[in-house]
Amino acid sequence: MAPIRLSKSVFGTLRVKPNHTLPIRQRCLYHSYEHDQPPPFPEAESSILSAAMRHVPDHGFTNAALKFGARDAGYLDVSTNLLPRGVFDLINYHLVTQRLALKDSVQFPTEGQVEGKAMGVGAKVRALTLARLRANGPIIHRWQEALAIMAQPTYAPASVAELARLADEIWFLAADTSVDSSWYTKRASLSALYAASDVFMTQDTSKDFIETEQFFDARLKDVSRMGSFMGAVGEWVGYTGHSAVNVLRSKGVRI
Amino acid sequence: MPPTMPLLRSIARIPSRQTPLPVLDFLAPRTIAIPHRQISPPSSSLSSRHHSTASTTTNSTNNTNPNSTPSPAPKYPSMRSPLTPEQSSFLDSALRVNQAGELAAVLIYASQTPPLIRAHPNLRPLMKHMYDQEAGHFQYFNALIAKHRVRPTAMYPVWHAAASVLGWGTAVMGREAAMACTEAVETEIGSHYNEQVRVLLDWAEKMEGRGEEVSAEFKGMVGELRRIRDEELEHLDHAVENDAKGARPYELLTNVIRGGCRTAIWITERV
Ligand SMILES: [Fe+2]
Ligand SMILES: [Fe+2]
Repeated sequence: MAPIRLSKSVFGTLRVKPNHTLPIRQRCLYHSYEHDQPPPFPEAESSILSAAMRHVPDHGFTNAALKFGARDAGYLDVSTNLLPRGVFDLINYHLVTQRLALKDSVQFPTEGQVEGKAMGVGAKVRALTLARLRANGPIIHRWQEALAIMAQPTYAPASVAELARLADEIWFLAADTSVDSSWYTKRASLSALYAASDVFMTQDTSKDFIETEQFFDARLKDVSRMGSFMGAVGEWVGYTGHSAVNVLRSKGVRI
Repeated sequence: MPPTMPLLRSIARIPSRQTPLPVLDFLAPRTIAIPHRQISPPSSSLSSRHHSTASTTTNSTNNTNPNSTPSPAPKYPSMRSPLTPEQSSFLDSALRVNQAGELAAVLIYASQTPPLIRAHPNLRPLMKHMYDQEAGHFQYFNALIAKHRVRPTAMYPVWHAAASVLGWGTAVMGREAAMACTEAVETEIGSHYNEQVRVLLDWAEKMEGRGEEVSAEFKGMVGELRRIRDEELEHLDHAVENDAKGARPYELLTNVIRGGCRTAIWITERV
């Protein structure tokens, strides 16, 4: 009798906040500083998944890890059936918690404290991205299988959306305030850069992932070269248009 | 004069002039000191982000005493219940539209000014005055959406081009057409800001009803929205004083522009 009641109560706690509301709460919308931020996961889900994460190094992102996690958290094995996306929920938990951990794990010196030049936005983006890559270190030998699950057609949209949220988080934490079209190009290029480095890292056997860092730096250079090229094109178009108008005006054309 | 204008005016001014509700006392636009620097870009210090927001808020209420050092405000001063998904998505769309609208306004005036003041040099101070106000609005919303992590519109380059063409096009049509353009745009924008003020007031009332203190974030936003709304309506007055109604064909021109504004708002709310 007791096990049934337990499973019912698990069912209840998970149902109180149905899982399908999660994407809404996690979408990047208006971010308030004076209203509570809702927790990213309901309590029961959070305790099962965080316990399951401890089994990932040994068991990978699998149902076995979920089952052990549920047991550790004091739930029945069967309660993992209540995670609608199964193993992907575990992967998603890792992605979300690691993204949210960035703001505490990477600290930049405040402007007043540091002598000399303050850290630029670019340097901050680099530091944050590398920190996030390194956070995959402990489970890197299991990460390829996770990437394979994330790439499945059912989960690919959610994975891409989470990647976009990571890029947004990094630009935000780096104190970037541009709110014109570069908002999009910045996030898109960082997402691509991160995804490439993430895959590269699964094959990196160098000490302290130094090769991943080099790979990332090389790609970053490519992107910034392209970025300044694109910026130059935009400037050129604007400048040419402007001077064309001025030339016509000087010729007495009334525009 | 078509009947829509005075009607809009009366709607526009109701919330500020006839407010029997006690919640609204903070809303008179110029009686509260909203420090203009309150919206600062995200601080580069991660650890002190929440803290710095908190102390700015505290300072704004304490700034009668210039010697008061920033009081050790609690790190999370009286947190309120989370915004509902509807609320945060409303703010998301509204602020995105506001930024795009002010971008367009800046560009309209910027591209209207050279052709217009060549023909009517006496309009130079007026155009500069309106341009400067729009530039201030644009700056305010740029900072606000960066702070609150609202995505700018994906149509940014499109609105950029469209607004420049609209401004230049109406200016070469003459003074009346340029002013009719301002009148049409400000009418749409004015009612858009009114709607936002109304919604925020409604939320504020509900928060007070629950016994929560209305956040400084909201109070500041309502105050600024009303100030900006009033400036837009002032532009509308200037346009009418400068014979916007004399534009030919007035009805066609203003209807096309107003329709265009509404479409742009609709699109920007979504993308
Ligand atoms: Fe404006
Ligand atoms: Fe205006």
